[in-house]
Amino acid sequence: MKRMLVTYMTLGYPNLEIFYQFVEKSVELGTDVLEIGLPPKYAKYDGPVIRKSYKVVSSWLKDYINPLKELRKSVNVPIVILTYLEDYLSNLDSFLTALHEINIDGVLFPDLLIDYIDNYETYVLSIKEKGLKAVLFTGPSLPDNLIKIASKISDLFLYYGVRPTTGVPIPVSVDSLIARVRNLVQNKLVIGFGLNDFNDLRKALSTGADGVAIGTAFIEEIEKNGLQSALQLVKTIRGVLDEYS
Amino acid sequence: MENSVLIPKYWYNIIPDLPKPLPPPRDPPNAEFSRIELLEKILPKEVLRQQFTIERFVKIPEEVRDRYAIIGRPTPLMRAKRLEEYLGTPAKIYFKYEGATPTGSHKINTAIAQAYFAEEEGISHVVTETGAGQWGTAVTLAASMYDLESTIFMVKVSYEQKPMRRIIMELYGGKVYASPTDLTEFGRKILKENPNHPGSLGIAMSEAIEYALEHDYRYLVGSVLDVVLLHQSVIGMETIAQLDELGEEPDMLIGCVGGGSNFAGFVYPFIGAKKGKKFIAVGAAEIPKFSSGRYEYDYPDTAGLLPLVKMITLGKDYVPPPIYAGGLRYHGVAPSLSLLIKEKIVEWREYTEEQIYEAAKLFMRTQGIVPAPESAHAIKATIDEALLAKKTNEKKVIVFNLSGHGLLDLGNYDSIQKRVGK
Repeated sequence: MKRMLVTYMTLGYPNLEIFYQFVEKSVELGTDVLEIGLPPKYAKYDGPVIRKSYKVVSSWLKDYINPLKELRKSVNVPIVILTYLEDYLSNLDSFLTALHEINIDGVLFPDLLIDYIDNYETYVLSIKEKGLKAVLFTGPSLPDNLIKIASKISDLFLYYGVRPTTGVPIPVSVDSLIARVRNLVQNKLVIGFGLNDFNDLRKALSTGADGVAIGTAFIEEIEKNGLQSALQLVKTIRGVLDEYS
Repeated sequence: MENSVLIPKYWYNIIPDLPKPLPPPRDPPNAEFSRIELLEKILPKEVLRQQFTIERFVKIPEEVRDRYAIIGRPTPLMRAKRLEEYLGTPAKIYFKYEGATPTGSHKINTAIAQAYFAEEEGISHVVTETGAGQWGTAVTLAASMYDLESTIFMVKVSYEQKPMRRIIMELYGGKVYASPTDLTEFGRKILKENPNHPGSLGIAMSEAIEYALEHDYRYLVGSVLDVVLLHQSVIGMETIAQLDELGEEPDMLIGCVGGGSNFAGFVYPFIGAKKGKKFIAVGAAEIPKFSSGRYEYDYPDTAGLLPLVKMITLGKDYVPPPIYAGGLRYHGVAPSLSLLIKEKIVEWREYTEEQIYEAAKLFMRTQGIVPAPESAHAIKATIDEALLAKKTNEKKVIVFNLSGHGLLDLGNYDSIQKRVGK
């Protein structure tokens, strides 16, 4: 079975031109799902690198609809928007409708099962009623039974973050974390959140991950060595994924 | 039988058994630096891994079990027979005596583990802060047990008023400085503004962290973090085995709460093993976090250097009144314990200094042990429960954690005698 590559990029980072080039090329190079971040007011569960990228774009990015519309025209893989539910509590319906109208496929709210645990089902229903896919975000602090339920209702795949925050290499035993959830999850299991060295990546794949989500590593690469080098990294990761197919 | 045979092989981690997910630590909005990243730089790697582990049972390294044996673990589980008789209760009262360790409190249980993980990583020197001195004492001994050097930033006012704690730390081989010091940039800044600054726990902690970062030493944490609660679970794991041996089934388990580590270490293994029906956390009425605290994200440290955690808190800037139980002068409650209180799995009580003093005296006169003023809070709740059992004529089995002795707190007892009378 082909392993999934979920590529994350903050909308418009570092500028619109490079952003489009990166995501379009990354799809050509084998990205299966695009995860696009909209800068939230408070990125509570993101690490320093992604937070910095939000800061860079939020100084000029006022409208997200048009850039997303453009993006939709040029790529044909599913596009999932990553942002925080907290910012859309008062206008969730219109936000979801707007995304659906421009043919965005789904949304992923990292704060849903953490801060809105008492009525997450209602929110998942709202997302699905608007014709969008609800991708659920889980992690090690979730009790087993909740991971089971979440895996059943999550669309496309279940996102499982192995670290408490993105991009900070907190030492965790990736393989034992995945071994624990693998048999709870009756869905595609995509591992992310701070998975940024090849050792972790291979461990995740050999313990049964159906795919990986990578973000921080691409942003860092663009920042340090530029677009071409970030695309090379996409290619390398695709290669590792294919070894396990 | 050699002691080490009786020492538990595993620590217990409650995270996978919580009724709801534990809200994760966060960086504050618009943070100029990542506190989660800071943790990665200052804590021993294995300590950090354990902070975020979801394994239910974590193996205690043999090297740590050896040191646990040296400090006299398993600590005794004793029956407070004279207290029962005095109260005329049908209840049986047991207590786990953590005061029996050389440093006189439970703090050594995690200090040993953290020092070991630092040593294993090739670190030669550990650093921490201390207020009244219990934690600092534990760290200096733990460091010496693994041939590490240790530096302790002790709040200046305590350094001057509690020379005995300082002396013990020095005898154990630690370097103790009155904070603010001129060893760190932060300390120098404070001293420049006020050369006679009395210091605070927040300042001492900032100095300790800066000093550790500067020299690539490691920083050891005394309470609140999940990993500290994990190490303290050795208390409850032992107690379960000791009660089993006596053929007793506990009805209730009681402990005092400063940050929550002795309570959690004692009680969580029982919750995990589904033993006991009632769990009571006891705090000081003067620091009313259970009755007036809010359940929200806050800094666990007054300096605001650690990541925000969701907990019951009076706010990090809350200034606790100078009660005699220094270890309870803390604004928050460990995140997992906060969640268990919110979910009503753990009950709480708050008692005033005078009530505690009476309970402490009664315990001293019936059982002979001078309890740490903090631990006397657990004694007070135990007495109340035993009297309730008398009223209802129920043969309850009550077990409490006597987290430390009070022989180095006699000054505090003296001051309360002066305030409320003998």
